[in-house]
Amino acid sequence: MKYRRVFRYSLPIFLFLIFVPPAQSQETKPIINASLVGTVIDSVTREPIAGATVQLEAVTHSVKTDRNGNFSFITGQKLPFTVTVSYLGYENKKLVITTSPTVIALSPSEKELDEVVVVGYGTQRRQDLTGSIAKIDAAEVNKIPVASFDAQLQGKAPGVQVLTNSGVPGEAIFLRVRGTTSINSSSDPLYIVDGVFLNNTSLQNISLAGRVTSPLADINPGDIESIEVLKDAAATAIYGSRGANGVVIITTKQGNYGATTKIDLNVSNGWVQADKSLLPPLATGPEVAELANEWHINSGIDNGQTYDYAYARRPFRPVNEVINGVPGLGTPEETPTYDRLGLLLRKGYIQDYNLGISGGGQDSRYYLGAGYTGQQSYLKVLEFQRASLKFNFDQKLSEKVKIGLTNSFSRSYRNQARTGDGPQVQLYNSAIARAVYEPIFTDEGTASGADNTYTLINNYDINTVSLRYVGSAFVEADLAKGLKLRSSISLDYNQYDESQYWNTNTSIGSAQDGESTSGISRSGTWINEQTLTYQKKFDNHQITALVGNTLQSNTLQYNYAQGVGFANDNYKLISSASVRTASESWTQYTIASFFGRAGYNYADRYIVEATLRTDGSSKFLGNNRWGYFPAFSMGWRIVEEDFLKGASWVNDLKLRASWGITGNQAGIDNFASRGLWSGGAAYADILGTPRAGIAPYQLGNENLRWEETAQTNLGLDFATFNNRLSFTVDVYNKYTSGVLLEQPIPASSGFSSYWANIGEIRNRGYEVTVSSSNIRRKNFSWNTSLNISGNQNRIEKLPAQISFYSRDWVVAREGYSLNSFWLYEQLYVDPQTGDPVFDGQLPDGTLPIEARKIMGSAYPKFYGGLNNTFTFKQFDLSTDISFQYGNQSVNLYRYFRERNPTSGGIFENLLNRWQQPGDITDVPRLTSQGLNYTLDQNSRYLEDASFLKIRQVSFGYTLPTAILSRTGLSKARIYFVGANLFVWSQFTGDPESTVTSNPNAQGLGAFGTPPQPRSFQFGLNLTL
Amino acid sequence: MNKKIIIKTWSAAVLILFASCDKFLSVDPQEYLSDEATIVDEGSARSAVRGIYDELRSNNYYGQEFHWLSLLSADNTVYVGSQIVRQQLTNHTVRADFAGIESAWNAIYSTINRANNVIDKVPDLPITADFTQATKDGFIGEAYFVRALAYFDLARTWGGVQLVLEPTTSPNDLPNVERSTLQGTYAQVLEDLNNAEALLPETTNRIRATKKTVWALKARYHLYQKEWDEAIDYATRIIDDTDNYELVRPYSAFYAGNASGTKESVFELYYDINNTNNQRYQWQPSTRGGVAWIKPSNPVNNEPGNIVELLIDPNIGGDRSALVELQTINNAPNWFGLLYYRDNSTDPAFIIRTAELYLIRAEALAERDASGDKDASLADLNAVRARANVPLLGITDVATKTDLLLAIENENRVEFALENHRWYDLVRTGRAQSVLNIASTNRLLLPIPYSQIQVDPNLKQNPGLD
Repeated sequence: MKYRRVFRYSLPIFLFLIFVPPAQSQETKPIINASLVGTVIDSVTREPIAGATVQLEAVTHSVKTDRNGNFSFITGQKLPFTVTVSYLGYENKKLVITTSPTVIALSPSEKELDEVVVVGYGTQRRQDLTGSIAKIDAAEVNKIPVASFDAQLQGKAPGVQVLTNSGVPGEAIFLRVRGTTSINSSSDPLYIVDGVFLNNTSLQNISLAGRVTSPLADINPGDIESIEVLKDAAATAIYGSRGANGVVIITTKQGNYGATTKIDLNVSNGWVQADKSLLPPLATGPEVAELANEWHINSGIDNGQTYDYAYARRPFRPVNEVINGVPGLGTPEETPTYDRLGLLLRKGYIQDYNLGISGGGQDSRYYLGAGYTGQQSYLKVLEFQRASLKFNFDQKLSEKVKIGLTNSFSRSYRNQARTGDGPQVQLYNSAIARAVYEPIFTDEGTASGADNTYTLINNYDINTVSLRYVGSAFVEADLAKGLKLRSSISLDYNQYDESQYWNTNTSIGSAQDGESTSGISRSGTWINEQTLTYQKKFDNHQITALVGNTLQSNTLQYNYAQGVGFANDNYKLISSASVRTASESWTQYTIASFFGRAGYNYADRYIVEATLRTDGSSKFLGNNRWGYFPAFSMGWRIVEEDFLKGASWVNDLKLRASWGITGNQAGIDNFASRGLWSGGAAYADILGTPRAGIAPYQLGNENLRWEETAQTNLGLDFATFNNRLSFTVDVYNKYTSGVLLEQPIPASSGFSSYWANIGEIRNRGYEVTVSSSNIRRKNFSWNTSLNISGNQNRIEKLPAQISFYSRDWVVAREGYSLNSFWLYEQLYVDPQTGDPVFDGQLPDGTLPIEARKIMGSAYPKFYGGLNNTFTFKQFDLSTDISFQYGNQSVNLYRYFRERNPTSGGIFENLLNRWQQPGDITDVPRLTSQGLNYTLDQNSRYLEDASFLKIRQVSFGYTLPTAILSRTGLSKARIYFVGANLFVWSQFTGDPESTVTSNPNAQGLGAFGTPPQPRSFQFGLNLTL
Repeated sequence: MNKKIIIKTWSAAVLILFASCDKFLSVDPQEYLSDEATIVDEGSARSAVRGIYDELRSNNYYGQEFHWLSLLSADNTVYVGSQIVRQQLTNHTVRADFAGIESAWNAIYSTINRANNVIDKVPDLPITADFTQATKDGFIGEAYFVRALAYFDLARTWGGVQLVLEPTTSPNDLPNVERSTLQGTYAQVLEDLNNAEALLPETTNRIRATKKTVWALKARYHLYQKEWDEAIDYATRIIDDTDNYELVRPYSAFYAGNASGTKESVFELYYDINNTNNQRYQWQPSTRGGVAWIKPSNPVNNEPGNIVELLIDPNIGGDRSALVELQTINNAPNWFGLLYYRDNSTDPAFIIRTAELYLIRAEALAERDASGDKDASLADLNAVRARANVPLLGITDVATKTDLLLAIENENRVEFALENHRWYDLVRTGRAQSVLNIASTNRLLLPIPYSQIQVDPNLKQNPGLD
C-alpha cells in the first residue's frame, strides 16, 4: 500500500536532523555568571504586563514576564546588560540596565506597525508586509456560539465573505476569499493549523438531504490564538498550488519560555431559540381550505367543467355532501389549524468550557488546553458536542536546536436529521410541508400519518462521531548566523463514524422492517516539509531568503454496511438484519512541492519580494503534472521618505503592489484525467443471480492541468491623528484561466461530460478597512472598525451554459456571474384574467425557451462589518454588525409552498392571489392549468436577499485589581453575549440560508432549512 | 564541518526526492480501472454485456425517467408530486428545458455506447476451446438487440435521431453526425434486429435477449411500421411457443406476490437489493415508505375518463382492478398504483409481455382485414379479455373494422394501465390528438433536450418545440 508514502520518503531526513545538530551545538552551553530580575509595567496605568518579551542583546536568549510582570535571567554575561523589551500593543523599548532588580515601563503604542503577522512559512512585522493579509484576533470572534471558527469570521475580515447556510450547529458554511474562482474544483481557501494543511472536505456520507457537516468544527476555537487570511498572490504564492482561493492560517496558543504557569478558565452557558421573524409564514386551516376550494373550482372550469359541477365537488364542503362515495372535508370555517412547529421548537441549551494552562521553563514551553462544547439546536433532535485536548510543546535541545510537537485531539458528536431538500423524513420540513388542517394525532392519541413531526422527533436516530487528530513534530536548527533549517512531519487524521437507524415508525423503516446503516470514513493526510531560511541585516539593507519542499499524501477510505429487516425496533445492529449489503471505496492523491522566497528591505522604506513555487500533483499526467507559480511584490513606505519626515499629520503611509500566479486542483476527482471503466455495472445472466458487470465510467483527458489564477493587487495603508485613524485600501484583479470543469459534451457520445480546462473567470474588487480610536481616555474608550468589500464575479469564457441543482434554477453562463439565476420573468398578473404575463411570451400564450433569461445572482455587490467596542471603567461593550448588499435568492420555500393549496402547508402570501377582474397582484389566479403554477423557473420567487444583522452584542465586567489581589486571581471577567439578535432583510426567511451545501447552488433559499438561531450566553473568564 | 555535512546531506536528499517524485506522484485508482484494456477475453466480454443491461434498467431509462415520459403523456396516470414541471407532459406543453427529457436522452445514448463497445471489441477477441464462436456471437447479438431497442425508443419518442454506431473512447473522437430521418432511424433498428436475430440462440431467457426476444420486439417494430404480415408472423412465433409463454392467471400473477420471470414475461429487467428500482418509492404512499407522487388517474381528482373507473369496472377491467387500491389517509380517499410495490424495491421493469403479442396480432389482423382475419383478431382480443375475467366480445360487438380497432385500443389501455404503451399506441394510430386533446401535431414528439442543442451544433430541434 502507498498509504505511508510521505512517511517513507521523509523519515530519514527528519531523523537525521534530530540526531545530528545536537551533537555539534553542545559547545555553546552558557556559563552561569550573573542574574537579572525585574518587572515590566504599563507606563500609564502602572499595571504589570504579563507576557512581555525581554531579550538580551547579543544572545538569542529571551524570557517572558509572568502574570505579575516579573522576569528573571540567568546568563553568562555580566552587568550592565542591554535589553530590548517588547509586547504587543506597546512601543518597543531598548535600554541599558545597570542594577538588578529593575522596573521597566512600556508605553502603549497607538500603531499596529510592529504587530507580528503570520505569513506563509514565517512571520513578518506588519510594516514590512507587501501582500494583503487580514489578521483576526481569535478572542474577538470566538464569543459567537457556533461550532467552527470559520463561521465566526462573518463581518470581521475584509475580502472574506461568510454565509451560514443553515442554523444546524456543526454544518458546513459558505466562505469565499475574494470571490469564487472555480466551478467544479473547490473554491474554498486552504486552511492551515500550526503548519498542518487541514482537510476541509466533509466525510459525511449518510444523507442529510443535501447538507454536509463541517470538518473545521473538529477544531476548538478556544485553542486558537490568531487567524490570518492571506488574500493576494504575494501572500499566497508560497502555497502555490493551493493558494488560488486564499489561505487561512490558524495559530494555536503556546506558552512562553521562562514564564510562570498561567491558567485560563472560560465557562459560558446559555440558550438558543428560533428567530420567529425568520420562520415560514403559514396560512391557517380556514384560509387554506378557502384557497383549496377556489383552486379546485378554477381548475375544473379550465378543464371544461361547469361552475356548478366543479363547485359541488370542491374538497372543503360539508361532510354530508358525499360524491362518488367520498364525503366532504368540512366547510372552510370548520377547518382546524394544527401547529407542528410548536412541537418541534425548543430552547436549546448551549454550554462551553475551556481550560488553558500555559507556561515554560528556560528551555521549554507548553500549552495544554482542554475544551468541551455542547450545542443543542432550537429544533429538537439536533445537537453538536465536541470534547478536545490540545498539547503544544517546544524543547530547546541547545541554544541552536529546538524540537517541538503540536497536537490536537478531538471528538465531535452530532445528533443529526435531514434538514434540506427531498421529500422523505425531513425534520424541519415535516412541520411546514404538512397541511395545517391535518391532525397531528388521531382520536386514539397516536401520531397520525407517516413522517409526522411528532413521530420524527421521537424516532430520529442518525448520529456521527468524528475522531480527529491534527498534529506535527518538528525540529529547528540554527546552522549558522541567520541560517535556520526546519523539518516537520505532520498528520491530519480523521475517522468519521456514521450510524443511522430507521425504525418501523418512520416511512423508510416501515416498508422494510427497519433499516440500519453504518459508515466509517478514514481520511489521512501526511505531510513532510523542510524549510531553510536565511536572514541578514547590514547597515540599511535586510535580506531574507527561504527555500523548502513539501511532500503530501492524502488517502480517503470508506466502508459502508447496511441491513434491512429487523425482528423489532429494539434490534438495531446490522448483525441482526435479515438482509445485509456492504460497499467500499478508496482514493488517494499526492503532491510534491518545491518553493523559494527572497526579500530585500532597504531602510524600512523600499521592500521587494519574489516567490516561486512548483507543485506536482498525482491528479495530472505526464508533462501536465507540474505547475509553476511565481509572484512578485513591493512595498514603498512613503512615510519614511525625507519629504514626509517630521510631518505630524501622517503616521504611516505605505503603497503595496503585487502580482502573481497561484494554482488550484483541489476538489476535482483524484483520477479526473484518466479514462476509466467501472466494475459496478452488475446484472444477472439468469433470474435471481446478479453477477458483476463492467462499463465505461469516464472519458480520459491526458491534457488536464492546473487551474491558474493570476492576481494583481494594489494596496494603500494610511494612518493619521497619532495613529488613531487608519485606513487600508486594496484593489485587486484575479483572473482564473484553464478552469477545471466537467465540460458538457454531446450525450450521443454516451457521456455527458469530461474533465477539461475550459473557461475563464474574473474576480475584481476592492476592500476598505477603517479603524478609529474615537475616544481614548483613562476611564472611557471607544473604538470603531468598519470594513467593506466588493467583488465582481464574471465568467469571461465558457463554451456552453452549465446548470446546477435540480430544475436548473442556477446556471453558469459566459458574460455573467457564477451562481446566476436563469428564470422566466413574470412581468405582472393580468388584472383581467388573473394569468401571469411573462417577458418574451408570444401572442398565443406560449412561452419560448428564448424568453428565459439571467436575472441576478447570489453574489453580493458588497459586504462587510461594522464593529464597535466601548470600555467604561471596568465595563466593556462590543457590538458587531454584518451586512451584505445586492444579492438575490430564489426562495424555494415559497416555490414549494405557494402552489396547489391541497398539496400541504401553504404560505400566507398565496392569500394575495388574483380573485376577480381588476385585482392587482403578482400572485396568479389559482388553477392547475396553464403557466400559473406549473412553471418552475418563475421570477416571482426571486427575492432580494440583502441583509444587515446584529451579529453579536457582548457586555462584560472585569473585577478591579484591588479585589482580585486578595483572591490570587490575576483576572476575572463576567460577560453576556447575544448573537444573531436582529436581521433586517426583505427576504422571506433567513437570507443566508440555502438548500444545499453545493457551492454552485447558493442562493436557493430557505427550503427545508432551519434559519440561524438567536443565542444568549452568560460567561466567566478567570485567569490564575 | 558538521554544518557542511548537514547542508550537503540535505541537498542530496532534495535531489533524491526530485528524482523519485515521479514515483511518488504515481497513484493508480482501485475503484475504477483504466480504459486502456477493457474487453480482452471471455470474462470481460461477458461482464461488459451485463453492463449494457445495467444502463438499460437504470433510473433514467427503464427504471423510471424514460418510462414516465410516455406514461405521463397519456391519460392513465397523473403526477401530483413536488416536481410540478412534470405536469407539462400531461398538459402537452413540454419545454425543451424540462430536465426529465435530458435524463432519459442521456441514459439511452449511454446504453448505446455500452452496446457499441461490445459490438466493436468482441468480434476481434480470439476464440479458445472455452470461448466458442456461439458464445461470442451471443454477446454481440445481445448488444445489437439492446441497441435496436434504444434506437426504437429514441425514434418513437423524439423522431429521427443521430445514429452513433462506434464507441466513444476519447474526447477527441466525439460523434459528429446530423440527425437521421425517422425512416433512417427505424432502418437502423431493423438492421440491428436482423443482426441480433442471426447471432442469438433460440432459447428462453426473460431477463436477457435471445432470438425469441428479438422476434417479440420485431413484432412490435413491424406493427409500428404498419407491416401487418410481419407483425403477425413474429407475434405468432411467441404465442405458439406455449411451453414457454402464456397469459398467466389470474392477471396479477405476473407481478403480484413478488413474482418475477413468469411465463407472461417475454422481456423484463431484473433488479436486486444492490441495484434497486426507484418506482416503488414514487408510487407507494408514505404509509408504505413512498411518496406517491405518481398515481393512476382517478375519480377523487374528478379526472374525466380516468383509468381507475375503467379498471374497477368488472366489464372493462375485471381482474385488472388489482392494479389499483383505495386507501384513506388522514380522512382523505386516495388511489394508488400497485404494479411497483416490493418493500425491497426489486420490482422488475416489464418491457414485453405475452399479452402484448396477442394484442399486436389482434391489431395487425384487424388492420390487414383479409379473409378470416377479423375472427382471428377477435379471438386474440378475447384471449386477453378472458384472462382478465371480463365478458368476451361477440362479433356483433365489433361490427366494423373501426369498432374492432377501438376495442383493441381500449383493451391495450387497461391491459397495460401502468406500463408505458398507451401514449405510443395513440401516436402511431394517429389517435393521440383527438383522444388526448392535443392541438398541434408537433406535440406528438418530445423536444430535444435544450442543453444538448446547446452543446451539439449538429442537433436541430424538432419543429415547433423550441
